[in-house]
Amino acid sequence: MARYGIHVDLNRCTGCMTCVITCKEENLTPPKVWWQRILEVESEPQDRIVYFRLACMHCDDPPCVPACPEQAIYRNPDGIVLIDHEKCKGHGDCVKACPYGVIDVNPDEDYFQGNTIEYENKPDNYRVHPPGKASKCTLCIHRIEQGKEPACVAACPSKVMVFGDLEDPQSPIQRKLSQSVELLPSEGAKPKVFYMIPGNLSKQIEQRVMENPHMER
Amino acid sequence: MDLKNTPRDAKPLSHAQTTAPEEKEEVGYTFCDGCNEVPFCGIKFFKKGDVVTRIEPWPGFPASPLCSKGYATLQRLYNPNRLTYPLKRTNPKGSPDPGFVRIPWHEAYDLIVGHLKRIKKEHGPHSVFFYVGDPKEPRAAVQRLAATYGSVNYGTESSTACRRAAQLAELLTYGFPTTGNLPTEETRVMLIWGTNPAYSGQPFMCHGELADAKERGVKFIVVDPRITPTAGTLADIHLRPRPATTAALAAGMMHVIFKEGLHDKEFCDTWIHGIEELKRYVKDFTPERTEKITWVPAKKIIAAARLYATHRPGGLKVGAQGTTHDLNATNNHRAILMVPAVCGYIDIPGGITKPTAPLEGMAPWYDGPPEFCLRERMIQMMDHRLDLKVFPAWVEKFFEVQTNYLVEWIKEGKIKAFLGWAFNAMIWPQSHEYQQAIESLEFAMAVDYFYRSSTHDYVDLVLPAATNYERLAPFAFFGRQIFGRTPVKPLGECKEDWQIALDIGVRLGYPDLFFNGNVEEACNDILKMWGLTYGDLRENQHEGILVPANTPELFKKYELGNMRLDGKPGFPTPTGKVEAVSTALEKHGYPALPEYKEPLKTTGEFPLVLISGSRLPYITHSKWRDDAPWLLELQREPLVTINPKDATKRHIARGDEVTLKTACGQIQVKAKPTIMVPPGVVGIMHGWAKANVNELIPRQFDPISGFPPFKEVPCEVAKT
Repeated sequence: MARYGIHVDLNRCTGCMTCVITCKEENLTPPKVWWQRILEVESEPQDRIVYFRLACMHCDDPPCVPACPEQAIYRNPDGIVLIDHEKCKGHGDCVKACPYGVIDVNPDEDYFQGNTIEYENKPDNYRVHPPGKASKCTLCIHRIEQGKEPACVAACPSKVMVFGDLEDPQSPIQRKLSQSVELLPSEGAKPKVFYMIPGNLSKQIEQRVMENPHMER
Repeated sequence: MDLKNTPRDAKPLSHAQTTAPEEKEEVGYTFCDGCNEVPFCGIKFFKKGDVVTRIEPWPGFPASPLCSKGYATLQRLYNPNRLTYPLKRTNPKGSPDPGFVRIPWHEAYDLIVGHLKRIKKEHGPHSVFFYVGDPKEPRAAVQRLAATYGSVNYGTESSTACRRAAQLAELLTYGFPTTGNLPTEETRVMLIWGTNPAYSGQPFMCHGELADAKERGVKFIVVDPRITPTAGTLADIHLRPRPATTAALAAGMMHVIFKEGLHDKEFCDTWIHGIEELKRYVKDFTPERTEKITWVPAKKIIAAARLYATHRPGGLKVGAQGTTHDLNATNNHRAILMVPAVCGYIDIPGGITKPTAPLEGMAPWYDGPPEFCLRERMIQMMDHRLDLKVFPAWVEKFFEVQTNYLVEWIKEGKIKAFLGWAFNAMIWPQSHEYQQAIESLEFAMAVDYFYRSSTHDYVDLVLPAATNYERLAPFAFFGRQIFGRTPVKPLGECKEDWQIALDIGVRLGYPDLFFNGNVEEACNDILKMWGLTYGDLRENQHEGILVPANTPELFKKYELGNMRLDGKPGFPTPTGKVEAVSTALEKHGYPALPEYKEPLKTTGEFPLVLISGSRLPYITHSKWRDDAPWLLELQREPLVTINPKDATKRHIARGDEVTLKTACGQIQVKAKPTIMVPPGVVGIMHGWAKANVNELIPRQFDPISGFPPFKEVPCEVAKT
């Protein structure tokens, strides 16, 4: 069985936000919900600004799963962590449990309040986001099922991300893994998104994730 | 979504088109106009009926991948605030509410044609100014309209503040336009000067290619006051000059190159006009003196000069306008161009190349194909150009009027009407003077996707434009490869820009010249130059059509004789050489060497230097903030970036309300302390109607190009 992951090379990320907006276009998530984020970290001594992609890590041991009183969150056989909207009651325990701060709750809000936008008519299921339900990156499982990469990976102009099957020794992701790290390994969640981080900025990036995992421009 | 700027009659509509129940998904193709290149990155879209449901990059298209703006064109398409019918002003100019009401197209056209005919009779045709802003796509059709009507006074946003000043420098120096090249397999070092390709294209979202080049060992020198992501991810050497001191830094680098004998002696002696004068001029720019002027450490200047001159061949990337928003715009940019020239990096593999066989009869869409645009007719009318005496070197090179003196020309009664496609009054320094001038005209018209208060409050008529998914024209071409598109039906009563220009032409009494209003026939009139029709493009929709070249790609064409129109060896300049001393500038009494000019002086009251106009990746000028909430949501407030040291001195913290002030005025913004800007410099994105930084810029202009000092003005930031 496949076990999907993403490798993120922060030496190449420019913070251009293409991944963030392609995710919006692909999944039509509501306002204030960011499945895909780009955070900035600055290091004054190094004269360095690092941009980094933050999204669901699709952990092998995801803290959100046991946190949910409704058992609405589950780990798919291919390792993708998903939320069952039928079961979710919007308690928000998963939001607190996630060490990476990447789960939101859908607001009762639209980009064009009171208007039905043409492409929202009869949308595919993956583009429906009921208010009050927990909401996070699905790794674009609907695309993976069609043999495509997640939208963010496919769209990145700077080729920052490599998507692949961690169980497949032939996958291009394997060559990248030896030089990369997990974020917040001490949390023990066994994330499947791996980072190559320039300039010894791991600690600063982890601190930023813990203090404020939200985008600020 | 801020709706307060929307006039009453343009309140959100519920668009009529809906998805029919059993419709199956089909594929369509178009181009993005998000960053105002023309037609640019390729979009493949999926539609049900006439409803576009999702998009992706057009696989194999020459301009690719898409950026955030490209993806957001889908949300713009169905934005309920889109203008979908013509609007006519009913209250007198100067009223707080223009009183726009919906009118049918025939009434709008009658109004336009009535004014055009009357003004021609009363004041002559040259008193009507034709203008194309952003997007550039209508340019060819609008030029044809202006020429047919009989007005030579046609201008664009390029000739106001965008690419033309850099292009003028390129034409004066090399004789051909170039923003440099991407690194090839041969390139060993790249000089990226005053541009941030990670965010703003040039030539498209090419950062992935640049990062690949770095991985294969190409060295990068990035010149930018800011720690842009381009500098951060690519630079082996990052030079951070004081804004507007470009010519001094370039002179400092050339000083080192000449002193150490690293220049290409044969190329310099044979192919550079004024090489001895240039050598003499840069002699005074020792690294130490250059450091004092530019803030760049002498050691870094030496290191960069050596790295660039010794890693042959070197390439260059310059921006459209990053180095020309100051009062020495043209010569600053000319100075940059001389650095690769003295190294002999011109028209060699891996260096700065001129395409060997551009598509016959064509010119980039920002110019338009000369025959279709009736360029000959425009040239015959040249004596009536409003900028004829003010910018003589410019007039020699461009058929577009430099627009920055529009205010004076309107006040003097030389312009009576203004027909603007996609124009934005905030582009000009002291924007309010231009808004008032346009308001004082006998007639002004705008074509746009949305009602935009900062411009449309001052005009008489606003026409609804079809967006990139709804237009046929223009087709796209890259090199010799041509692509068409497959538009969906426009929303409401929207019409594509070309349609509007053709319709006006027909109603002025020229049905044949304007193809009886048929846009496809207008395109065919151009495509026939290569024996093609739009139908051929449709048949080859995905791959496009390659018009074969009769010559392979050649290098050192200045030796071979196929760089000049007359077939003689040499560069397409008056002397046939790269002109360090510009003969055209000399003739018109300008400094003929790429001389340094000291920028506006900072003072105790205004100790910082203001940079505006640098791009955010998800915004182009002002337009995306109103057009696509996905992008607005990324940043809702105008932010001034200030170095943490300067911020601390002023007790400014992140998110504080601050006043940004110059001798011209002040705006209220929020502060973002960041090391991106060096101490002494602050940066702000332009185009916020609620905090228009161009109101802080004086109406002073580079005497050669007429460009305003968007990246030079002394300022201060204080906590509000």
